[in-house]
Amino acid sequence: MADKTDFYHRLNISTGASEEAIRKAYRLAVRKAHPDVNKNAGATQLFLDIQEAYKVLTDPARKETYDAGRDPAESVPNILTEVEYSQHALLRLEEPQIIYALVDIVATEEERDTSNLPLNISLVVDNSTSMAGARLEIIKAATREIIQDLDEKDLFSLVRFNDFAKVLLPSQSRLQPRQIDSSINNLYAEGGTEIFQGLEAGYQEITKNFTQNYVNHIILITDGHTYGDEDNCLSLAQQAAEEDIGISGLGIGIEWNDAFIDQLCALTGGQSKFVQDLNQVKEFLEQSISALKQTRTRRVTLEIIPAPGVQILSAFRILPEALPLSPQEIYSLGILQKDKPHRVLFEFLVNPIPENIEPAVIASGEFTLKRTGKDFTIPFTLKRDLVAQSEELDPPTDEVIRAISHLTFYRLQEKAQRDIALGNPGTAYQRLMNLSSHLMAKGEGGLAKIAMNEAQYIRSHNNFSPTGKKQLKYGTMHLMLPEKT
Amino acid sequence: MIKCKVCGNQEYHGILFCGECGSQLAFAPDQKVNTLVYADQIRGLNMDISNTIPKKLLEERSFILYYSEQEEALDLPVQNEFSIGRLVEGQVIAPDVDLNKYEAYNLGVSRLHVTIRIDPQKNKVFVIDQGSANGTFVNNYEIPANSEVPLNHGDVLTLGKFSLKVILPNEL
Repeated sequence: MADKTDFYHRLNISTGASEEAIRKAYRLAVRKAHPDVNKNAGATQLFLDIQEAYKVLTDPARKETYDAGRDPAESVPNILTEVEYSQHALLRLEEPQIIYALVDIVATEEERDTSNLPLNISLVVDNSTSMAGARLEIIKAATREIIQDLDEKDLFSLVRFNDFAKVLLPSQSRLQPRQIDSSINNLYAEGGTEIFQGLEAGYQEITKNFTQNYVNHIILITDGHTYGDEDNCLSLAQQAAEEDIGISGLGIGIEWNDAFIDQLCALTGGQSKFVQDLNQVKEFLEQSISALKQTRTRRVTLEIIPAPGVQILSAFRILPEALPLSPQEIYSLGILQKDKPHRVLFEFLVNPIPENIEPAVIASGEFTLKRTGKDFTIPFTLKRDLVAQSEELDPPTDEVIRAISHLTFYRLQEKAQRDIALGNPGTAYQRLMNLSSHLMAKGEGGLAKIAMNEAQYIRSHNNFSPTGKKQLKYGTMHLMLPEKT
Repeated sequence: MIKCKVCGNQEYHGILFCGECGSQLAFAPDQKVNTLVYADQIRGLNMDISNTIPKKLLEERSFILYYSEQEEALDLPVQNEFSIGRLVEGQVIAPDVDLNKYEAYNLGVSRLHVTIRIDPQKNKVFVIDQGSANGTFVNNYEIPANSEVPLNHGDVLTLGKFSLKVILPNEL
């Protein structure tokens, strides 16, 4: 957790920062914190804190004195953590209450000047009969393009799977054009879909050339349900995560099992996406590869242990990609990109706090970073003071409200799905109409319209339309990303 | 626990948005609640207004005029007697409710078309035609000018060709 008493943390820089870097960081921090710009409560204090830190750190004599008295255990190279809460304090209550925390881990400016890790990628493509035609052709073209963009050291392998898996291109670097062509041309459609077959072959290719100095990642593309091998897939994903191998999934069309692919990818901290428009396949592949290239950290894990009397109700990763996480103690977050933090939104249920306790600890935990040659851990504690009256609470920052409001949208569509499952299409209809009006109020006209159409569809069909269901789910999920570009 | 003012759902303290209807529960910016009413709360009407009338309106008002065409309730003043018409420049007596935004001229609404009188003691509502050019109709029957005609829940009130649904939330 960013210790705001620490001058380096206030400026979002590491201890080794040059004077130039300090000035740059100062200007950046001031721009965000200036009371004229930042209307949040506490902005003035933040601004003053930044001023103070800047004055000390740019005065060589004072900096030396400050550095000498500073706790060296704080410094993990170029990485900072930060927490924002939905309330600055907990309430003294006789009943349970909820508090949200946005937990961030982010690379500092200086990390960007460091070199990236090379890639060890396996592209695993579903070539079942339903992939025939445009789908496979688009994937073939996109694959050719991403191979072109690989660096000399990067390793690449290509696997196709239906009921069986076949390695079309074994893991290697410096691919020859003729090899690429002949292997990609072997992507023709036949058979069913058994994801485990493909995943395992991809995993084998990765492990063949596995080294800790690479970013190891499987990219899965499928358009169908897998039958009966889900558990095998999930345990393989778990194993892959432990070995710092990530999995990302792309679902094409409307037939594929989104909940399963989400879960599979979430286990490793990878992302899962849904595309309807085939032209987005290339974009997905390019974005995945370029994100993987932006790192010096193979894998980040977040361990979080709620204090006695506290329960984690939900966890949702917001950055770098939105993904619901199933509550557990250790979350695998995947690589840490240099230019994007990991941000997880936790929802805690806090039971009444005994009178003699203040501040109240909500949870404690640590981030573990697997970096080349060395692992680092950054411990943190989530705790809050207590106040008697809810009137004493300051409103949360816009960022926190935004995150929680979008989480609520996601939940509304989830609940509408549950309404349908329980045989209450009327309630599902109302929920989606409400969702639609909230989306409209937030200026999300496109998604509001989808929600509205889906509500109408439910009224006449008593069920979601297959497309609308996924559009709503991934649409509300995508809203959580702070700034859509 | 805290209660959602829109749908009545109970949530824990600290929850910022109602999990059932999505309305903001705490630190809400000062804006109109635009969350809609659940269908089962609208009874006795042969139409579905459930998605368009804010619940707050149903709770606070005893008389609502609903314009089905545009699926919205008219913005009526909170008083027991008010006039409805179409405001024209230079008009001496302005109507309390101006229908210009609904293309009232094309629909034949007069400048001072009707007066609505609400009797809260008896829980009754009356309409009085002010001698309009194109007439006032209740359920398609033209009413005489300058006399009180009672309005009931579910009635269709037509000013010229401009039709409104009468909703008496107390009857719901």
